[in-house]
Formats: sequence, structure tokens, C-alpha cells
Amino acid sequence: MVQYLEWIENTWFGIWVRESGSIWSYPMIITLHSYGMAMLVGVSAVIDLRLLGFASRVPLASLRRLFLLIRIGFWISLASGIALTIGDAATMLISPIFYIKMLFVVLALVTVRVTERNVFGRPALGADVLPTHARALALSSLVFWLGSITAGRLTAYLGPAAALKGLH
Amino acid sequence: MATLIAFSKWLETTNVSWAVRGGMPWIWPACETLHFIGLCLLVGVIGVMDLRLMGRLKGIPIGPLEHLVPWAVAGFVINVITGLLFYVGAPGQYYGNSMFWAKMAFIALAGINVLVFNLSGISRVVDMLGPEADTPWSAKLIGATSLFLWAGVIFFGRMLPFIGGAF
Repeated sequence: MVQYLEWIENTWFGIWVRESGSIWSYPMIITLHSYGMAMLVGVSAVIDLRLLGFASRVPLASLRRLFLLIRIGFWISLASGIALTIGDAATMLISPIFYIKMLFVVLALVTVRVTERNVFGRPALGADVLPTHARALALSSLVFWLGSITAGRLTAYLGPAAALKGLH
Repeated sequence: MATLIAFSKWLETTNVSWAVRGGMPWIWPACETLHFIGLCLLVGVIGVMDLRLMGRLKGIPIGPLEHLVPWAVAGFVINVITGLLFYVGAPGQYYGNSMFWAKMAFIALAGINVLVFNLSGISRVVDMLGPEADTPWSAKLIGATSLFLWAGVIFFGRMLPFIGGAF
């Protein structure tokens, strides 16, 4: 298992991500990961805040288009996240913190998807009446995203890529 | 600059600096986590506002959407506090770092952009716009400028360790 992970991070791509020293490798990929996070989590939070009753004069149906932004943020995060994981495979894929992050991310994504279907997918959306579980979904989404960010930050303290940033 | 360096050297001798720098090892990661949460709140809410000002997402009425701005302000305040703590903890990795000054300059420009938006009367004009109404070119410019500046703030912040040698 460990040999397999080491093989992944020592492919030309893994080495390029981690060791090329190019601004276009690790630094740019992690910047993209931040942009993806801001779109995915930030725009999810806008929807959650509205479902929790803030800015209640914003029509719900007008927020439907925001799910497209969330989707774009998701794909940017996923693509950059896979690249970062390849560069650090032998560290990340044996780290409990990494799997805790993934668990939170999956829970958050499922919550966002259920919100899109059950709250925003109803024909009655125009009437602006929320189903009773909309608030629970919004709160869960916020909590799961907070968990994802917290665990995600902690992965930055692990492995050889962390040493790139002067952390030990 | 000499004054700032002298002040920074003094900061480094304080107990708070020691604690943030690693004397209490959980403080730095906790501040980073809060800094990212603040980023999401700030850029999420302001980014949606910016897109609407740019004439996208037309279904959303701008006046009601502005009720979310206090959340963006909360995110900004979280980031100013945690950002100050980073500086107090390790001033040496910031005051000589070009990425740090670029980030600060972009934050200042974003602040000026908000002032222009509010003081020029553009904000009053767009507040009145209903759903589906297009925005004037001045509002589009304000929105695009804001989006560009915050994207730059994230970029420069991310480059702090790689170009400027911060951790």
C-alpha cells in the first residue's frame, strides 16, 4: 500500500507538483484550491444564510442560479485537490485528518445537493414558503463546511509539501 | 519603514507574539482556520453582490441582497483580527515581503472602491432596481473592480509563503 502511494507521488506529475519550484505548480494549484473553496463554500453560505431567514426579501427562486457557481467551485476544488493529493500521496492518503476532511466534504456536498433538490427543486418555490427541514439543511451545510475547512487547514501541517512552506 | 521595523521588533518581544508564533501551538492553526472561514464569508457574499452589480444573476434584487453584507463585514473583521495576530506573531516574515504589501494595497483599494460605491450615489441607484433590471455601467465597473481586487487579495495572500518566505 505504502509503495503504491509512493509510486503515485513519484510519478512525473507528483514530483512536478511538489518539487519543481515553479510558481505554476504547488503555489498556483493551492491558490486555485482557495478560489474553488471561496466559490463552493462562500456561495453555499449565501444560500444557507437566506434559508436561515437573513435577507428574507431576496426571492428564493432568484438564488437557483447560484448552484451553477457552487458547481464551478466544486470542480475547481476537486481538480486542484486531486493534483495536491498526487503530490503528497504518501502523506495525505495515510493521514486520518485527510479522511476526516473528506468525510466532512462529502457530507456537505450531499447536504447542498439535497437542498438544491428538495428546497429549490419544488414548483411551489415562487411562493417563497420554505419546507420545514430547510433550516436544518442550511445549518448542517454550514457546520459541515466549517468542519471541512478546519480539517483541511490541519492537513497543511503534514508531509513534505508542508516543509516547502517552512513548516515542520 | 524604520519606525515600522522598530515597532515590529518590539512586538516580537511581547508575550502575545510568543504565544502566536508557536509558544501555544494551537493558536496559529486556529487563526488560519478562522482566516479561511472569514475569507469564505467575505468573498462569498461580496462575490455574489459583485456579479449582480455586473449585471449577472439578474433575478436577485440588489436592495434585499444587501442585507447579507453584515456577514461579509463579519468575515472581514475576523480576518483583520486573525491577520493582525499573524503579524504580531511573526512580523519579520511580513514587513519585508512584497506579497504582503501587495495584499494590503489591494485591500485598501477594495475599501476605496466601497467608498466610491456608497458616496457616488451608485449604491442608491442600484438599491432601487427590481429583479431583472440591468445595472448602469458605473455599477458594472464597481462590481468588476471589487471581484478583481478580492481575487488579487487571495492570490497575494496565497503567495506569501512561496514568494515572500512566510509560513
